[in-house]
Amino acid sequence: MELIKYLNAEGLDWELDQTITRGWEFYFIKHELDQHRAKEVNDITVKVFRTAEDGTMGTASATIPLPSVSAEMKKEEMEALAKDLAYRASLVKNKPYKLLQGDASRGGQEQPMERPDIPSIAKAFIEALRGLPETETEFINSYEIFVEEKLRRFRNSAGIDVSEIRPESFAEVVINARRDGHEIELYRSYDSGTCDGDALKEDLTRAMGFGRDRLLAEPTPALGSIDVLFSTADAVNIYEFFTYRLLANLIYQQYSDWAVGENVAPDAVGDKLTVTALKELPNSSENKAFDEEGAPITDTVVMEDFVPKAILGNRMFSQYMGLEHSFIPSNYRVTGGTRTEEELRSGRYLEAVEFSDFQVDEVTGDIFGEIRLGYLHDGDQVKVVTGGSVSGSMFDFIKDFMASKALRQYDEMEIPALTRLKNVTVTGIEKE
Amino acid sequence: MKAPFSPHLLLIRDGLKELIALLGKDYEYVSVLATDSKGISVSSSKHKKSVDNRTMSTERGIVARVWKDGGYAEYAFNEFYPDMVADIAKKAKRELDAQLSLLQAIGVKNYETPVMPDEPQTLFVEKEAEILPEDVNVKALVEKLNGICETGLAADEHVINCTVRAASTHVNKMFLTKNRDLCQSYVYSEGSVFVVAGKDGETKINYESVSGLAGAEIFDALTEKVKSCVSVAVEMLDADRIVPGEYEVITSPEVSGLIAHEAFGHGVEMDMFVKDRALGKEYIGKRVGSDLVTMHEGAAYVDEVSSYVFDDEGTLGGDVIEIDHGILKTGICDVLAALRLGTLPTGNGKRESYDRKAYTRMTNTVFESGDSTLEEMIASVKFGYLLEGMDSGMEDPKHWGIQCIVSRGREIKDGKLTGKMVAPIIMTGYVPDLLGNISMLSKDCKVFGSGGCGKGHKEWVKVSDGGPYIKTKARLG
Repeated sequence: MELIKYLNAEGLDWELDQTITRGWEFYFIKHELDQHRAKEVNDITVKVFRTAEDGTMGTASATIPLPSVSAEMKKEEMEALAKDLAYRASLVKNKPYKLLQGDASRGGQEQPMERPDIPSIAKAFIEALRGLPETETEFINSYEIFVEEKLRRFRNSAGIDVSEIRPESFAEVVINARRDGHEIELYRSYDSGTCDGDALKEDLTRAMGFGRDRLLAEPTPALGSIDVLFSTADAVNIYEFFTYRLLANLIYQQYSDWAVGENVAPDAVGDKLTVTALKELPNSSENKAFDEEGAPITDTVVMEDFVPKAILGNRMFSQYMGLEHSFIPSNYRVTGGTRTEEELRSGRYLEAVEFSDFQVDEVTGDIFGEIRLGYLHDGDQVKVVTGGSVSGSMFDFIKDFMASKALRQYDEMEIPALTRLKNVTVTGIEKE
Repeated sequence: MKAPFSPHLLLIRDGLKELIALLGKDYEYVSVLATDSKGISVSSSKHKKSVDNRTMSTERGIVARVWKDGGYAEYAFNEFYPDMVADIAKKAKRELDAQLSLLQAIGVKNYETPVMPDEPQTLFVEKEAEILPEDVNVKALVEKLNGICETGLAADEHVINCTVRAASTHVNKMFLTKNRDLCQSYVYSEGSVFVVAGKDGETKINYESVSGLAGAEIFDALTEKVKSCVSVAVEMLDADRIVPGEYEVITSPEVSGLIAHEAFGHGVEMDMFVKDRALGKEYIGKRVGSDLVTMHEGAAYVDEVSSYVFDDEGTLGGDVIEIDHGILKTGICDVLAALRLGTLPTGNGKRESYDRKAYTRMTNTVFESGDSTLEEMIASVKFGYLLEGMDSGMEDPKHWGIQCIVSRGREIKDGKLTGKMVAPIIMTGYVPDLLGNISMLSKDCKVFGSGGCGKGHKEWVKVSDGGPYIKTKARLG
């Protein structure tokens, strides 16, 4: 690319990131085609680095707009872009860090370049969704399917030149359930590499059962403080509290006070979690050979039994922390749960399976969520409830954490299949 | 000055008209939306400063929409040169035909939809802006933000970080069909101060923002925001947890805006009516709030971040009164939903970017003001909270549940603020109850445009929302 010549002429270090996306999309109302879309787009971004005389490093970034009149950007436009980036970088003063070093003489370090079969993947999604066991009272309302091939090439001025092709898919499904003239909906979305039709069917069939139950649900009583069991994808938010707080950018900026070798919950009496960053998980949409800055992704234990072992993250904050072998993780496995399902499903607890939007704030530790469907268990008694909310602090919950030994994968996260948080505040909508 | 329309789009206009003509041989309707939106984004925090030409809305690309045999399809691309027109047309048709073959093999039927009208219309609008993103004095802006950041960091020993952001976007869009030629150019800007404070293992976050249908001149207001932003963040460190329950509440304008957005913003997006995904469809003409509640939605209602002249389907932006004195009057609508429902579009067809689908989306969603003062409202509360700071929200248009995450509540007892604060707060409820219990609204009204809005959990677009202080009852946790 001609731009590189001008960036070099300005004495700049640089990173060039190009992604060509080919995608097919299908939108359905019930099972009728709302519309279909195809795309092919070429996105190129450049980031430049300039070291000043005072030792600080300036950066500036830009999207390179594809030109109006020819495939080759006019030389003067590229020269102007390089000069503009050089000037803007001179205005920024950050602590310096080194770009990832590579060996330019080796040329592009290409990963296996097998192209995903977009039509086959799309067909598998459509057939899976048309094959769901719908009934008169639980049925598909609408769905959207996105299947993409992403061809990415990342280069920098320090010799890194890596490329890969990978599939990325997304399905959004809305399910309705109705009873006695009243109808409710359940929303589901799935990120994945390609289509796992069986997993999709299994999860949506379970969701249909939730829909049926929600129509029978009674108002959640004011439960005060009670254990809450998480058995659906909302539990991912709980485990992202750990993965985020172990990232270099949170730690360096003091949003997280976790440190290598220091137990994050020294007085914990419950399960102690182990977190591993993984290069691959089966059919994850995040399976990548290298991260956003070209660093190779490797399997790495980042926390063991609640003791951080490795801090990972982007180049800037990793370098500031003196971490030479770092990368931005994309897949995680969380283990350390010791409980059986029977243990976790004992006594009095609320199993919350549907929320409006369950959130866990990785900085403050606050958890929130309006309950759309829960099962209030008390021994053999089960009451289906809806309404009210859960709240509390992860810093309290990790002191006596309870999770299953059995794992379940939700796209890029493999986590305990069941998680029980103790003494969660549950605001009801009906007095007990 | 006027924000000048994109020379790039003018340069490719004839080529795109040729593309429309070529695709017109195979399709009965063809439209093209071409975008060329430029921007600047500057950020300064304790450890990281940056300058970027990307904002949430910067893009350059094209999407062609076609209709044939009762069905719509689109092809999006961003490499287009005058000598490529025939190839692009061929490629678009090949991809869309391949998709149809797949669908036919599976036995998928179309959701039959009429063809769009294509009445002749030409429009060329360049809106006013004082400082364009292209003309921003980057050096001065970087120094200004660095200064604000330093002020925030020095303002209190408990401040962990102070991040100051400023982003300005010059939006250029061109909508073409056989008979229509619409061009618009406008600038919107948004800035924020985001403070993280910590003490004794407790961490709290607060932010304040500025936004508007304006250029980089609005960033001057950030200087005034930083000290109050720090002061509240530090105050929140000593906040208590709220005792869950139902309370009388007064919502500040940003929280009122969140309620407007979640309650009857998403709830009356009429593409949801087509899918039977919104209860609002059955409540048109019925009471959904107290007599004091009147709510507007539309690109033309206020000048904010989503105040375009025409939407991403070529429909002029409007001002829809969704709720009039408590009665739900109508929803908002994109073109396809309008054709399917037999109504008229309201100028709410928006895309996250040129390569994403158009949906019915909000623009500016605002409660009308009332005739009380905030002091009168506080004096009327026996025991409750003044809710401030909007974090996030989620709606359930099919069941009318609402969830709002609010930063903090200031306790009111016997008509007076006690000085006690609770934080954070989750406010939940049933929309008709929340709006039905509205008993007072303040005279003033503020609109905020610093956030984004998703459809489900994707398709992020710029929106603004707001209103006056509102007194109602809500469940807090």
